[in-house]
Amino acid sequence: MTHPILKNRRRFLAQSAALAGAAALGSGISRAQSAESLTVATYGGYFEDSFKSIIYPAFTEETGIEIVSVPEPTSDAWLIQLETAARANSAPADVSMIAQTAMLKGQRTELWAPLDLEKLPNHTSLSPDFIHTYSDGRVDGIGAVAWYLTLVTNTDVYPDAPSSWEELWNPDNEDSLGLMALASNSFLLEITNATFFKDPEILMSEAGIEKVLAKLAELKPNVALWYRDEGQFQQALQSGEVPMGQYYHDVAGLAAADGHPVRSTFPSEGGIRDSGCWAVSRASSKQEAAHTFINYMCRPDVQATLARKVGTSPTVKRDLLDLSDEEFASVSSVDTPITPVYAMHNERADWLNQVWTEMVTG
Amino acid sequence: MNTTPAPATTLQGFSRSESVAMAWPMIMLAVFFVIPFGTMLTISFFERVPGGFFEPGFTLESYARFIDPFFFKSLGMTMMIAASASVICLALAVPFTWSLSRMRHHSRVFWLVALLSILSLSEVIIGFSWSLLLSRSTGIGNILVWLGIENRAPKLSPGLGAVLTGLCYLGFPYAVLVLFPQLSRLDPTLHEAARMLGASPRRAFMNVVLPNIAKALVAAFIMVFVFTLGAYLIPQLLGKPQQWTLPVLIADQALFQSNLPFAAAMSIFLLGVSLSLVVCVGWLGRTAPHDQDDAHDDARSEEA
Amino acid sequence: MSLQIADVGKDFGRHTALRDVSLDIAAGELVCLLGPSGCGKTTLLRIIAGLETASRGRITLDGEDLMQQAAHQRNFGMVFQSLALFPHLSVEDNITYGLRLRKVPAAVRRKRAAELLDMVRLPGVARRPVSMLSGGQRQRVAIARALAIEPRIFLLDEPLSALDAGLREAMQIELRELQQRLGITTIVVTHDQREAMTVADRIAVMNGGTIHQMGNPLDVYRRPADKFVASFIGQTNLIPANWQGEQLDVRGTRFDPGQATRNTQPETADGRQIWLSVRPEDLTVLDQGAPADPNAAVMEAEVRFIRDVGASIEAHLELPARDDLPPQALVALVSRDKMQHLHSGDSTRIQLSAESTVVLAS
Repeated sequence: MTHPILKNRRRFLAQSAALAGAAALGSGISRAQSAESLTVATYGGYFEDSFKSIIYPAFTEETGIEIVSVPEPTSDAWLIQLETAARANSAPADVSMIAQTAMLKGQRTELWAPLDLEKLPNHTSLSPDFIHTYSDGRVDGIGAVAWYLTLVTNTDVYPDAPSSWEELWNPDNEDSLGLMALASNSFLLEITNATFFKDPEILMSEAGIEKVLAKLAELKPNVALWYRDEGQFQQALQSGEVPMGQYYHDVAGLAAADGHPVRSTFPSEGGIRDSGCWAVSRASSKQEAAHTFINYMCRPDVQATLARKVGTSPTVKRDLLDLSDEEFASVSSVDTPITPVYAMHNERADWLNQVWTEMVTG
Repeated sequence: MNTTPAPATTLQGFSRSESVAMAWPMIMLAVFFVIPFGTMLTISFFERVPGGFFEPGFTLESYARFIDPFFFKSLGMTMMIAASASVICLALAVPFTWSLSRMRHHSRVFWLVALLSILSLSEVIIGFSWSLLLSRSTGIGNILVWLGIENRAPKLSPGLGAVLTGLCYLGFPYAVLVLFPQLSRLDPTLHEAARMLGASPRRAFMNVVLPNIAKALVAAFIMVFVFTLGAYLIPQLLGKPQQWTLPVLIADQALFQSNLPFAAAMSIFLLGVSLSLVVCVGWLGRTAPHDQDDAHDDARSEEA
Repeated sequence: MSLQIADVGKDFGRHTALRDVSLDIAAGELVCLLGPSGCGKTTLLRIIAGLETASRGRITLDGEDLMQQAAHQRNFGMVFQSLALFPHLSVEDNITYGLRLRKVPAAVRRKRAAELLDMVRLPGVARRPVSMLSGGQRQRVAIARALAIEPRIFLLDEPLSALDAGLREAMQIELRELQQRLGITTIVVTHDQREAMTVADRIAVMNGGTIHQMGNPLDVYRRPADKFVASFIGQTNLIPANWQGEQLDVRGTRFDPGQATRNTQPETADGRQIWLSVRPEDLTVLDQGAPADPNAAVMEAEVRFIRDVGASIEAHLELPARDDLPPQALVALVSRDKMQHLHSGDSTRIQLSAESTVVLAS
């Protein structure tokens, strides 16, 4: 949801979001007159640029469908624009890349057009948990890209790689951790549950959440930095100032490749896997072309290209990919991931934020 | 003491052309202040849709969330940090501006340009730079190690000291710019006269210079206080969670929780609190016994 | 107390404000530092006060070295040109500020303030804020404040320059009376030669960072040391001349300045140029047909203008151009009788005698 490659652009776009949105709206509508075009929204900046140069031309060459690319600022802000436009029966983008919590919000107003799996034969390549559905089973989203949050360490300070998230609670690591500051981007409640409670139901109730939160509070003496800005943590991690913490697997890998003493480890409990879906606005008149596009994006070779060139984790099963082990390990893991409890972040947002902030600042 | 005319005496009875001239600033004020503020005020009463956005309506729910010990703890801490930063900032800026006002022209211009260039730095850059400067691995603490005073460089950030350092750095140029005109207009022989009468330079400064720039001191304090009260990146980047001020929490609500009504309500509340403080301090400043400009003018005209 | 100033110099960067000035001031004496603005007189006063440090030289007070003492340790009273009354304090608090620093009890301070106000003829204003006072009253308060600390030396920097002419003259006399009554060693800086002549025991005439002449007022007036002093103190006529043997050649006319004058001259070689300084009141205009002094130089002159200002009458004359010499303007004070016979455009004769002229080598 706040992966740095998405966020960098988001920061830049914060001021011009409305402007860009309005411009995109105009171009989207005008191009919609042509049957052979499809408007696709992705996070602006590095992400959108990569898709435009690497993915879309090949797609157009193969299918003859032109892609009109528009940038979206954040999923939440984009959701508002999509919803507002859909009420007027127009769609600023036919297909959009949407984060998980925003998918749930969109479901409330039936914003997402149901997808026909018959028209998406490639969906079978995907892990089943990348098929997003309404509560009644209708499919509303198909996994587009994924990324992992893992346990990262400075190799100078920690010569041996840690093996478990339990290391975050180890008293030896006093004043050494960098953790994300918010419940909704750190997914630390999910990590705590996976490490100590292993109870799939516990985060469904307030009493359960409070129990997990109390366990989480025990690691506070170890935290040197509660960060909102990835750059700040990355710098501190590289210098050894804050030698351990949670961070994006692929970005840590890039830092290590640059020669920094940084390593990313998938703990035995698994890394946190967050992802974005392709979803289609109910107001889009290009349902056929949208299916063609999403089906194309589910192809193993396209997913492999994304992993190599953009650094995202594939949503396609490992054995179907022609990635080398090294290439695959740089963006993903075959171990079972920890999946964020999006429903909790959605339904209890305000309450959770309150108890979370009190826990952190208390 | 300088003789700036009191605004109260000039605000009455505008001619027609003056009224037209006044209209433009009024329009700008409306467009850039009243309308955004009105929007914020309106949103603060809107209904929050959990997990979503907000819907037009009228509810005091967002304000009701203030009735909470946690909120008041944050508010108190925010005020404490802003007030401490302002006091430290003034303690540094007053002697600095004093020497600045007595420098030769070109060295004065050099310093003023240097200060103005600080103003061009964004809060993000300032926050990041200080977090590097105060860190253990790359920070200034290493000078102590190099000098052999400490074995291991101290980690100075995050922490209260780091937040205050960052905020002071941010507020310092403003304090200097508010103080400078007053101090450079102050008759330099006042200080010299006190020294001739037996006061050490320091004492002469406290006894004679400070009372005569009281208005500028109050103005600079308010300026830095209000400015640091609104800072959210510095406390976020340089502070421990205990030093996350209300603006940090407001930004969390607005940017991460999509809870605009609550963020707006908190902003309004913070604005109200700081405005009432400004009014209080301003009122105290008015009744201070150093305001003799009018009497002075009377004496002059009598003599003539 | 007596003050000795030895070879004191002051540089501001590359600019030399004061060139190795030496001056001895006797106990109880009032010395005026007189000169045009920028002559270094205020710099010298500020060095004596301790507000400025000398680049070179030594100042001692009754043999005690002052160079190591800061301004606030010297116990000198000073009146500033701006007066520098503290605007935030009452008259009494201004006057007793120095006493408060010296921990004098409040009752004693109040009594002393009343005495001082009586002394400067300003009773009954103790409680007023200084902003309520007129210019002359402020002047008296500034003097009272400086004297309150019973200073070892009394320094005044252009103390009366802010007052209008009438009040200034009265204050000059009052200041002199006060100083004589207290017998305090005093230095006054002024650019007003009339003021200097009124108040001073001795005048130091300064220009270009040096003292040109030091002496009692009448000496300085009657026997200026050089052209600068002659023209700065009062009004004078400067006529170029040169030595020819024992005599002076003034525009072709010979005259003998006398042995005494010759003895004071540094060089009397033939052709050596000097200037004759003749005060307007000493310039003799001969009546028509009156006999000339055989020892004096007599020259033809034309009357250009008669200025009658009531108290005195000035005759503006001109010596005509001669060989390579341009015309020379002269001013003479004449009696009312004599004026009857002078008219613009008339030709007349002037007479220069040894008694009425001063020979200036530079």
